[in-house]
Amino acid sequence: MFETARYEAGRRVRGTVLLSIGISLYAAFIVWYFTVLEGVSIEKLFEELPPAMQDAFGAESLSTIGGFLGAEVYSFIWVLGLGLYLAYVAGGMIAGDVENDRLDLLLSFPISRGRLLAEKFASLLLPIVVVNVVVGCAVYLLVDAVGESIELTHLALTHALSIPYLLVCAAIGTVFSVLVSRAAIAERGAIGLVFVLFLVESAVGSAEEYDWIQYVSPTHYYDPTTLLVDGSYELIDSAILLLAFLALLLLSGIVFDQRDI
Amino acid sequence: MGTDSAETPPIEVTELSKDYGEVLANDSLSFTVRKGEVFGFLGPNGAGKSTLIRMLLGLLKPTGGTATVLGADIHDEEALIEAKRRIGYLPAQLGFEEAVTGEEILDYHASMKGEQRVDELLDIFSPPLERPIREYSTGNERMLGLIQAFMHDPDLVIMDEPTSGLDPLMQEEFNEFVRRERDAGTTIFFSSHVLSEVRRVCDRVGIVRAGELVELEDVETLLDQGGKRVRVHTTDDASGKITALDGVVDVTQFPDGVQFIYTGEYNALIEELATHDVHDVEISEPPLEDVFVHYYGTSGTESGSGTENESGTENGSRTENGSGTETRTDGESIDV
Repeated sequence: MFETARYEAGRRVRGTVLLSIGISLYAAFIVWYFTVLEGVSIEKLFEELPPAMQDAFGAESLSTIGGFLGAEVYSFIWVLGLGLYLAYVAGGMIAGDVENDRLDLLLSFPISRGRLLAEKFASLLLPIVVVNVVVGCAVYLLVDAVGESIELTHLALTHALSIPYLLVCAAIGTVFSVLVSRAAIAERGAIGLVFVLFLVESAVGSAEEYDWIQYVSPTHYYDPTTLLVDGSYELIDSAILLLAFLALLLLSGIVFDQRDI
Repeated sequence: MGTDSAETPPIEVTELSKDYGEVLANDSLSFTVRKGEVFGFLGPNGAGKSTLIRMLLGLLKPTGGTATVLGADIHDEEALIEAKRRIGYLPAQLGFEEAVTGEEILDYHASMKGEQRVDELLDIFSPPLERPIREYSTGNERMLGLIQAFMHDPDLVIMDEPTSGLDPLMQEEFNEFVRRERDAGTTIFFSSHVLSEVRRVCDRVGIVRAGELVELEDVETLLDQGGKRVRVHTTDDASGKITALDGVVDVTQFPDGVQFIYTGEYNALIEELATHDVHDVEISEPPLEDVFVHYYGTSGTESGSGTENESGTENGSRTENGSGTETRTDGESIDV
């Protein structure tokens, strides 16, 4: 059981470690930067920006460590960076195997296509979970180290509730991956779509007439800054993300099953 | 021989077709591979050999007809998965991940299929297991491919162009290995575009051309009919005498010599050559398309009357449907 998931996860260990270290270092820089900026009215810095940009980076309550981390680390790295990363990696998953003629051999194994796809996807849980755990712990310790404090439950929720969001991004990549036979195209398509959805949500948020469009974007259902600052969230948002993830994965499975490889 | 009809044949193909719309890759193929034989599936590049193999493994869905592999209908995913436990597969392109070591790949394959025979196989083939695939030579990669195809002691092994990329010595070892496996009871099905290779190891041969099975026969017949391509650099006068020998067909003159397909006695040829001033001589395997020309006559027109094959009007160099690309087999030029 889960031989493929284990093998594929093994192939992701190095990338996951590097990613965790990289983001932790960036978080350390941001925490240090916050201590430097103390006394300066940070919110003033952002007032110059158009409202859409302020929303995009969650520039609220920047004078607290929670708000500052939410804007500088989570809105930026989690919503955008990790979202794009997972869409990219998932995009290359099947399409790359097809392109390199690797899939022939994998499909000669005595397992179903659905199972193969599910296990390959499951290997993405490694970076998703490990990055969340490592960076979460790192942020908590760093904040503590500079004499600030952050609500532990808020931090934990911010990380935990990012998982459904990241799963949706990875599932978008998977759909692209089973649709086309060239890794580069699937990767670009997935990144492009996730990025457009991110932009759409932040741009349309302030235009009332078209605000329904924002509901299409997964970013609408995950707001790390609000989570960090006051710990408020809607469970329905996470449920919507999980449902979208399952629907996209199911769609990928059907497409993959019907396809000539 | 071949009378154990009570048993299900390892591969039974019934009017199997694959139509890609603009290209008909396989057109109603039917044949049976018997238990314990080495079956060669011969055809020029682009004739639809890989398409057939990939349909047998459930990678492509046929547009018509059906096939069974170890008794499992290829339309039945569950049954086919069960059958795959007893099938070994060596694809034309292995596509192992570059950064992974041979050992990691074998471990993964072992966990999926089993590894009853891996130690024994590693005594015969010795790829550098501790090294990553990116450092592998083509030969090493093929060896790893062979190990994974046989490691779980399969009843049926399907190989797509197994010897491409192997040097002649390794090909010989491979042939020896295939014979031993056959003697041990494994059924082997492999595709090739090289006549000589198929001749040496196969018990029976199916010849496919432009997606259609054109000949199904035992190796003896093929041996009798195959012939060699001879290219002699000599005087015009000598050329005329040499090509007057029995068994010379498909003669092509070039400035300082002559080229032809020779199906007669070797001794007769050599004796004749010895009586002339020969500057250079080259005897080689004819490209498969030339063998076809030999089979069906040089003009190819008479084949059009009997069957509704492709018309063959463009001589031996008719483009195969395959992916609409190349037709030539051995990469050697042919002066038609």
